[in-house]
Amino acid sequence: MKKVLVVDDAVTMRQMVSFTLKRGGYDVIEAEHGQDALNKLQGTTVDLVITDLNMPVMDGITLIQNLRLLPTMKSKPILMLTTEGLAAKKEQGKAAGATGWVVKPFDPEKLLLTISKVLP
Amino acid sequence: MKIDLSQFRQTFLLESADHVASMESSLLQLRSAPDDIELLNSIFRSAHSIKGGAGSFGMTQLTHFTHALENLLDRLRSAEMHATDEVINVLLQSIDTLHGLLEAEPDAEMPPEAVDLEKRIAALTPSDESPSPKEAEAAPAPREEQELHLYTVDFKPDRELFSSGTNPLVLMRNLASLGTVSCCHLHTEELPALADLDPAQCYLSWTMELASACPQAELREVFEFVEHLAEIHIHRTEAVQAAPPPPAAVQIASPEPAPAPTPVPVQESRKKPTSVPVPVQSAAPTPKAEKKTPSGGDASSIRVATEKVDRLIDLVGELVIANVMTAQMVKDFEPGSLPRLREAVAAMERSTRELHERVMSVRMLPVGTLFQRYTRTVYDIAQATGKQIRLEIKGEETEIDKSMLDLLGDPLTHLIRNAADHGIELPEVRLAAGKPVEGLIRLKAYHRSGRIVIEASDDGAGINIFRVRAKAIERGLIAADTQLSDEQIQMLIFEPGFSTQEAVSNLSGRGVGMDVVKRNVEQMHGTVSLASQPGCGSTVTIELPLTLAILEGLLVRVVDRTLVLPLLSVVETVPLRPIDIVRVAEQGEVVVIRGESVPLLRMSRFLGLPQESAEAEEAGAETTLRRLAVIVMSGQKKIGLVVDELLGQQQVVGKSLRRNLHQIDGLMGATILGDGCVAPIVDVASIGTLNLFSLQASGKATPQGAAPVRPVAAA
Repeated sequence: MKKVLVVDDAVTMRQMVSFTLKRGGYDVIEAEHGQDALNKLQGTTVDLVITDLNMPVMDGITLIQNLRLLPTMKSKPILMLTTEGLAAKKEQGKAAGATGWVVKPFDPEKLLLTISKVLP
Repeated sequence: MKIDLSQFRQTFLLESADHVASMESSLLQLRSAPDDIELLNSIFRSAHSIKGGAGSFGMTQLTHFTHALENLLDRLRSAEMHATDEVINVLLQSIDTLHGLLEAEPDAEMPPEAVDLEKRIAALTPSDESPSPKEAEAAPAPREEQELHLYTVDFKPDRELFSSGTNPLVLMRNLASLGTVSCCHLHTEELPALADLDPAQCYLSWTMELASACPQAELREVFEFVEHLAEIHIHRTEAVQAAPPPPAAVQIASPEPAPAPTPVPVQESRKKPTSVPVPVQSAAPTPKAEKKTPSGGDASSIRVATEKVDRLIDLVGELVIANVMTAQMVKDFEPGSLPRLREAVAAMERSTRELHERVMSVRMLPVGTLFQRYTRTVYDIAQATGKQIRLEIKGEETEIDKSMLDLLGDPLTHLIRNAADHGIELPEVRLAAGKPVEGLIRLKAYHRSGRIVIEASDDGAGINIFRVRAKAIERGLIAADTQLSDEQIQMLIFEPGFSTQEAVSNLSGRGVGMDVVKRNVEQMHGTVSLASQPGCGSTVTIELPLTLAILEGLLVRVVDRTLVLPLLSVVETVPLRPIDIVRVAEQGEVVVIRGESVPLLRMSRFLGLPQESAEAEEAGAETTLRRLAVIVMSGQKKIGLVVDELLGQQQVVGKSLRRNLHQIDGLMGATILGDGCVAPIVDVASIGTLNLFSLQASGKATPQGAAPVRPVAAA
């Protein structure tokens, strides 16, 4: 089963993404912010990371930059969760190494569809 | 597959309420540090999270409002704007609006004040964007007739493609799924010699030809995430009818070995689709999930730290193991294994006790969440009255039972309002009195000898004893000639129907008085006391038990009954000889302990038990020698409870009597003892308010306390 790390400080959003992924047949790990995500990745690896951008402690952009430095995550897909209309954020994310993005609020089916765009 | 996320609505509402509370407290802090970027970031994040979730549940008003808020906040945190008092005021008002919107039905009309506020917010942020653009949800172009197009797609990724985590094969596979591929060519010309190859770089490119009924935009969407990382050319070469007549010949065009920058349109490319490709997925957003049912009431819930739950699970695990071990030992029991069995049972006992404590702690919440609320209360009053008031909070991490926290809300609001509205003086008055212009209200929580103490104090004018006394006489609470100590006069403000403020201000006077404070606190088996120094301020101290559910009890025997006294209120136990009992006019029986006279209450009489020993006592029989007086603190005064024997100390779980019997003065509930007997628990706090004298005076004074032993007492 493909394993996905979901990073978001908003509990509801995180739970909804996880729930959708589990329904879509993925194994899910959750983290509350960037640093938490990096901690959770110690000693394990995932096939995909979905991360929010605005988070305390370590924001999504910094997380993506850090993930790209990890040998195990160097070429794994990373999706960012963004709200509509934040083109600047999207650019920042892309520059940091994000593979793609999911627009919040998300439609569950669309989320799974987006994942299929990036996950082998 | 339809995935329904509406079950998360309740979580979202809870989470949002937390966000709103934290926004509020951050906003209040922002007043003294308007440029604090961390504060601004945290407020922004909260608004952002609410907005993100609101969209998922179709709460359009909330989405709309938080979007406007977010715009304003974004400007603040990017320092395009400054957090002036006006801005902060508007933001604080938004907090109330957010509360309202969170409670509103999903499709309710936007309340007018919210509309106004949104306009004010919009006025503060000269907009350069139309509100809530929905670029991602732009209506998809209407699908053309089931017409097949032949497309040639060139995909030439940059060398750095892999660094974005993109797998080109996934892209090609997705592209292929949109139609029927007639040809896919892999260009390997740029692939270097193995020695020069950097496996982290992408040297390959592709040209794919496919027949598809999808519009060009849909093909392009496959490459949505890599547009900046690749050259992508999509050409529509030809349109064919959905059901084309069988073509004469099928020819696979083989591209030239030399990579052509733009593929030469193949003239004879009348390919035969093996099947009519029907696009299976639609990029159009499905209409919002089914109508959400409005949240059904506010089911009371507690949020518990994960580590608390983890520890509980650990403990249950230990208990299960201990249980298995014990069961095994009992099964193979032989006399020699008794010590080990004892050990196992002791281990189980330890785990049970810890489990008990931990389960109780699940109900414990830090008092800070409640305290924070009052920053706003104080701010509002200061604004309305022109006073300068600062709220200082201490001990916010002190944990308190959730049900008590709920009950404390109103009394504390009242105390804080009183302090801010009546206690703290106007700036000029304070100056004249030589005090700092800024008034100080202090909220403090801490533990003291197994109880939780909450203090609300102010450095205001204090309580005017003469006015209180005059008012009490006017209200008929006391007679004009009553002799009272200053403390007693101060306590009068807790009497029902007492209010000294002539003109009821719109802030404090909301029809509840300090008596409500007292009543609520007593409901929690707590006590209220007041200390006031004219000109220097007042302090109201609320003392509460740690939890309502469990208490350390002292088991005592009274005639043939077992009673439980809350150990926390027990001061000492003294042997009681008849000679020690002194009868004092107006006060009844007292015992003198170290020069202090303590009124006595015979528990047997209180419970309405037969006075079997009354005569024996007169005779000075030995039985009386075994009598004991348990001295307890009831509020500020000591009372000696006369019992026959101390049986021991034990943790008891209090059960309310009210469900089965009516409320009985002097008893807080009952518990079930190890032998299955029901033992009443004495409510020491309320015993202090009983008229001891009348209880002592005559045997026929049948107190309500008779109820638990003779349940059919006069109802």
